[in-house]
Amino acid sequence: MTNAPTLNPELNSIRDFLAECIPFDQLTEAELNRVAAVMEISYHRQGHVFHPQDDGGGLRIMRSGAAELRVDNDQLIDRFGEGVSFNLLGLSQEQPGIRATLIEDSLVYFLPEPEYQKIRQQYRDFDRFFHSQRSRRVRRAARHEPSPSEMMRSVSGLMTKKLLKVSPRDSIQTAAQVMSQGRISSVLVMEGEQLLGIVTDRDLRSRAVAIGVDVSLPIESIMTPNPEAISADDTLFDAILFMTQKGYHHIPVMEQDMVKGIITASDLMLARRDDPVYLVQHIGRQTSVDDLQKMVKPLPDLFVQWVQAGIKSSQVGKILTAVSDAVTSRLIFLAEQELGPAPVPFCWLGFGSQGRGEQLLNADQDNALLIADHLSPADERWFEQLAHRVSDGLNACGYVYCPGKVMATTDEWRQTLRGWKTTVDRWTKSPTADAVMRVSIFFDLRAIHGDASLCRELQAHMLKRASGNTIFLAALAENVLDTPPPLGIFRRFVVERNGEHRDELNLKKRAVIPIVDIVRIHALAHGISEVNTIERLHKLAQTRAMTINDSRNLQDALQVIMQTRIEGQVKHLLAGKPPSNYLNPDELPKLVRKQLRDAFNIVGDAQQAVKLTYRPGL
Amino acid sequence: MKLRRWYYCARHAFYHPEASAEQPLASSTSAMAPLRECWQHSHSCGGADWRQQEFLVVDTETSALEIASGELLSVGWVVIRDGRILLGSAEHWLLKPQNSVGESATIHTLRDCELDAGLTEAELMRRFLQAAAGRALVFHHAGLDLAFLNRITRRLYGAPLLLPVVDTLQLEKRNLERRNRPLEANALRLANCCKRYNLPLSKAHNALTDALATAELLLAQVSYKGKGVKLRDLIA
Repeated sequence: MTNAPTLNPELNSIRDFLAECIPFDQLTEAELNRVAAVMEISYHRQGHVFHPQDDGGGLRIMRSGAAELRVDNDQLIDRFGEGVSFNLLGLSQEQPGIRATLIEDSLVYFLPEPEYQKIRQQYRDFDRFFHSQRSRRVRRAARHEPSPSEMMRSVSGLMTKKLLKVSPRDSIQTAAQVMSQGRISSVLVMEGEQLLGIVTDRDLRSRAVAIGVDVSLPIESIMTPNPEAISADDTLFDAILFMTQKGYHHIPVMEQDMVKGIITASDLMLARRDDPVYLVQHIGRQTSVDDLQKMVKPLPDLFVQWVQAGIKSSQVGKILTAVSDAVTSRLIFLAEQELGPAPVPFCWLGFGSQGRGEQLLNADQDNALLIADHLSPADERWFEQLAHRVSDGLNACGYVYCPGKVMATTDEWRQTLRGWKTTVDRWTKSPTADAVMRVSIFFDLRAIHGDASLCRELQAHMLKRASGNTIFLAALAENVLDTPPPLGIFRRFVVERNGEHRDELNLKKRAVIPIVDIVRIHALAHGISEVNTIERLHKLAQTRAMTINDSRNLQDALQVIMQTRIEGQVKHLLAGKPPSNYLNPDELPKLVRKQLRDAFNIVGDAQQAVKLTYRPGL
Repeated sequence: MKLRRWYYCARHAFYHPEASAEQPLASSTSAMAPLRECWQHSHSCGGADWRQQEFLVVDTETSALEIASGELLSVGWVVIRDGRILLGSAEHWLLKPQNSVGESATIHTLRDCELDAGLTEAELMRRFLQAAAGRALVFHHAGLDLAFLNRITRRLYGAPLLLPVVDTLQLEKRNLERRNRPLEANALRLANCCKRYNLPLSKAHNALTDALATAELLLAQVSYKGKGVKLRDLIA
């Protein structure tokens, strides 16, 4: 034996086991062999308790069996099994009185304290893992994702940062000269830092030269005032969609109300053209429900392709939502062709996952109609017909009817702005279980088509009614606490006991919806108008309604759960089955199981926070 | 105490060959040195807590299951100290065979070419006895492994190992019998015993992984005996 013993090569299976355990996966093979050689193995029966003061520290790794961590008042901190490691000495500094109790007979690997500290000093990632709490572990998992597709790059990386500016009083000719010299097809009209308008080659052609305007006139006479802009954080996909839908070729890119760049159609040509854009674009050209149906038919294949290309779950949700938005808009357009133009302005509202921009495959439709107040009774028929045409069309395209009848075809879900306000008032005043359910659907609303100002006004009204209403929030909180995360007594996932999905876990019902519910109640309480869950979490952190840490933890938990969910759906699709929200946790890789378990723990903590905030003393 | 007396008596015969009825095979006492050295460290105290005793958990691979036709091919061992298995103590040695491994290679996957690079019996035993000094031996199904090991020590030193031995198979058999469980076929095989205690099963099988599995099995069996287990509870 030499001074630095290494593991006998015949025991590679132990090294391989360690290599699968976070954070030992950070160590090199040689280092793992060295570490394993100083490890010791012990066996303890269920009920055995480890105390931090017992043995001078050391890291314990569960080889088989399960354990739980509890603190002084017997509060449960964590439950875990195979592959999870814990250092009681370190934990006891954060959590006095912490102890580990075995809840199953367990074989435990033990790394003595000096060796453990030595690795921590040598490996930063290893150290960081133990240095921080379990929540940070999930964060790293969520960040650790394959490089995203080209389409998901933010526009800030593609935009032209060199900005050509003219003042509004410069002549048309001066502007044209600036553009020629700069060899650029557009110029921004600015007063100081403020963007007033934009002028493009085409504007010079059609608004000046073609009609013989005097080129000494100020440029502001032909500019497009207050041009629509996108944010530097938006993705390439967002930008392409925006251009395609609006027919613009030049879009200013803003960051905190300042122009940071400009992105043009040709910039986007540089980026790879991916399927979702074409799909969305082509949906807008179909002339019948049958054709639309054909357009969305390959969605499952595309879904598999996107997920396999490494597009993140949140982006997949955005893409699929953009597709269903496009289908909805097109169906409304086709209906209008037959029914004639709308008698009064209206807004088609989308709810649920479509509203939040988190739609996946096989989503059912949740929608409503919001109609301007001066609707005459004679015109009600028009909207009813519209609702039926669109809803039937959506159903034909795979967005099946909502089993709960949350659809514009239901009279209750097709109202004028005034009518909706009254309904919201009623719901918030007497929050029955039914009303709470409706509000939780209704609060995730988005204008899909039509007059978005109607939607904004309704939403502002809702926020005003709900945010200060503690009784209503308490009722909503009860709903949130209804579904605890699916972690059972024995750190096992709670799975279905029988039926078609025996031994499986419904990720949507047990994990995604609880997070969405938690975030919604916070957003509602703080009058935040965002509806996308991640955006709500951003906003909650920004407005200090939530700590940055809590906000990030929930974002990461959602990310991990959604990623597992879509990857599970890809597996279903590849096996020729319809995508489902169920999966068997035993079939997941160990690492994913661990991440899920951590994510569920975060959801559990967040639910407790909801309970404390909105239902104190209940 | 009974233990100590038995071993002392048995060994005594080999310290003083002329006093023994059995004729030792090795005439020179100096040839016995490695074994006698090992014996000198042996201070088994059957009445003390089992944790105070160190164990050398051993498994062997042989070319056949009968001592008559088979020979030892490899030995693996690992130490238990203070009730814990020390992974750094794990050793695995191949033995240069006298005959071709032949068809048994399909079972233990040790091939002639690998074994040719192995140790001689004398080299192997020197290492083994060093590791065994002061420790009780542990086997799963001790009879078979001991038969092969004793044959070698007899050949080299003119005496069997004469060390205290724990047999996890016998312990398991007693456990099952005590609980009036019918012994199903293969119930006492190492893998099946390990399963009973929720112990992980190694995919690879060699003398060392099986020695480790035996060590884990022993720890599990002891913990199921409750508190205050003594060495003699394991050996008897």
